[in-house]
Amino acid sequence: MATETGLTDRTDEDRNVLERWSRLAILDSDRVYRGLFAVIVGFFLLIALFPFYWLLLLALTPERLFSDLGLVPIAFNVASFIEAFQVVPFHWYMLNSIVMALMTTVIVIVIGSVAGYVFGRLDFRGKTALLLAVLIISYFPPTAFLIPVFNLLTGNVEVLGISSPRLYNGPGAIVLPLSALVMPLAIYILATFFSQIPDGLEDASRIEGSTRLGALYRVIMPLAAPGVATIAILTFIITYNEFFFSFLMTNGEPENWSPIVWGITRYQGTRAIQYNLMAAASIVGVIPMALIVVLAQEKIVSGLTAGALKE
Amino acid sequence: MSLERTDRTGLQRPYGTAVDWLEDLSETQFAYLMLVPVFLLMGVMAFWPLVRTFEMSLFADAATAPAPIGEFVGLENYVDIVRGERTASLPRPFWDGDRPLASAIPVTFVFTAGVVVVETLLGLTMALVLNENFEGRRWLRMTLILPWAVPIVIQGMIFFLLFNNSVGIAGIWLSEIGVFTRNPLSTPENALLVVMVADVWKQTPFIALLVLAGLQSIDRDLYEVARVSGATRWERFKTVTFPLVLPTLLVAMLFRSIGAMKIYGTIVPIAGCNTVPSLSCVVVSTFNSRLYGTSTAVAVLMAVIIGSLMMFYIIPYARTDAGGV
Repeated sequence: MATETGLTDRTDEDRNVLERWSRLAILDSDRVYRGLFAVIVGFFLLIALFPFYWLLLLALTPERLFSDLGLVPIAFNVASFIEAFQVVPFHWYMLNSIVMALMTTVIVIVIGSVAGYVFGRLDFRGKTALLLAVLIISYFPPTAFLIPVFNLLTGNVEVLGISSPRLYNGPGAIVLPLSALVMPLAIYILATFFSQIPDGLEDASRIEGSTRLGALYRVIMPLAAPGVATIAILTFIITYNEFFFSFLMTNGEPENWSPIVWGITRYQGTRAIQYNLMAAASIVGVIPMALIVVLAQEKIVSGLTAGALKE
Repeated sequence: MSLERTDRTGLQRPYGTAVDWLEDLSETQFAYLMLVPVFLLMGVMAFWPLVRTFEMSLFADAATAPAPIGEFVGLENYVDIVRGERTASLPRPFWDGDRPLASAIPVTFVFTAGVVVVETLLGLTMALVLNENFEGRRWLRMTLILPWAVPIVIQGMIFFLLFNNSVGIAGIWLSEIGVFTRNPLSTPENALLVVMVADVWKQTPFIALLVLAGLQSIDRDLYEVARVSGATRWERFKTVTFPLVLPTLLVAMLFRSIGAMKIYGTIVPIAGCNTVPSLSCVVVSTFNSRLYGTSTAVAVLMAVIIGSLMMFYIIPYARTDAGGV
């Protein structure tokens, strides 16, 4: 900026040809740059949004018009949003998904924030080893847990002659493994949050005669609330979006707590494949996530970033 | 802060005793006590299953017998799988030189390498765009994050609807110009490409967000110095932005590589595991046929491959920047 104002102080006659030419190029390159920038933004927006546009277009097109399908809408058939629920009880699948995501979130918050406090604020022997043991879990593929977890939750594992409870086809079969697998991320982020709270506050309340748990719940937890909210949102998104255990730990019946994974794939199994209903159900299934992104964008960004990078 | 409510007097008797007992514990004892719930949950749902998976991989399959697993065979499962002698019990071969993109190892590696490279390039560009100051930046970021938040099954369904041969506009168009076959989602090579495109669509924002955080932590003064010394935009990127954002970029690539090696859910609604047989697909289909020995051995091999991949990123990084880790 400094060089530019220096140049404009002089009149055109004072400059030689080279100077004038380079000044134009600089200004022009800025314009080129801005044009390029707009093109790239447009490209990203198109890529991000076109699939959603296609879903909406398909959902609004009745089956008999599929042969005329193009890039512009040719019909406005809102009825497929109702029919989708009649062909497959998608509302039950969604309710199952939402309830199980909430259950996972509660478990992760309650257990994870205690663990995050311990790893973030206490000094004890074996801390590093235990934290590493927790974190290493997130690197294993879900396939590495599958068969033992499946056998355990179908009641095929015996401990001291007592067989494990049959949780398969129930909420526990999805909520428990997912809670355990989200836990490393939750503990890592929460430990970071807890460790950033100044020691002085906790010390002061302890000197005032507060108990350990009193200090934790009255001083530390309120200060860590933003971190806990971040974890709650991330856990909800991860669980609602999960495929592997959601698919393999239930048999696909809505009354057996099958989540949207089964609801969506069931449209592919119906007698005549109804593409407009698949699209309508997909749109409905995305709505909770879209709402979360709109309402809690900052939390998602800070959570993902804190989970992957060291502060 | 109302500390007067928190003193120890005035508590009810049994609660008071428990509190006193807690107060008398050493910090280490207290820490371990507080960690009981998390290790109970993770012990049963994560640590034990890992150990048990490894143990089961050392036993033979027992598909017909009532017992879930056969006799102890040591490393035979692994040896057979790697040498291609288990192909009969796998839905698709582990490794097939004649038709590589219809076998598990090449499919998984091509998928991982392809999506990580494309997502890194696009993610870096997206982050640079989001790092500029302009009106509506918040809205742009929100829109670009949206694909990341789409459930995997719906992500798969979207790309099924875009690329199938009856209503999929993209698939039909690519067939007409001869890039894809008449039925792309049943052709392994085409279907793999569609799954990769679906993954790039969903995961690019993840890399972009991490890199954006890296970009925002760069000291603004460095740009001022570069500008004063006459560096062009490209030179500023090359000498300031890129070297400083590289560690973050590598971490993002590492996370995506690990995630890509696990690919399963996206494949099922788009093309099915028979057309695009990733390693996770092999584990699930052998599990469904109750071939527990083979299935767990492939799962352990996956873990080993992912572990080696991590080393590939971590070792050079630790060497160049030992202080930072």
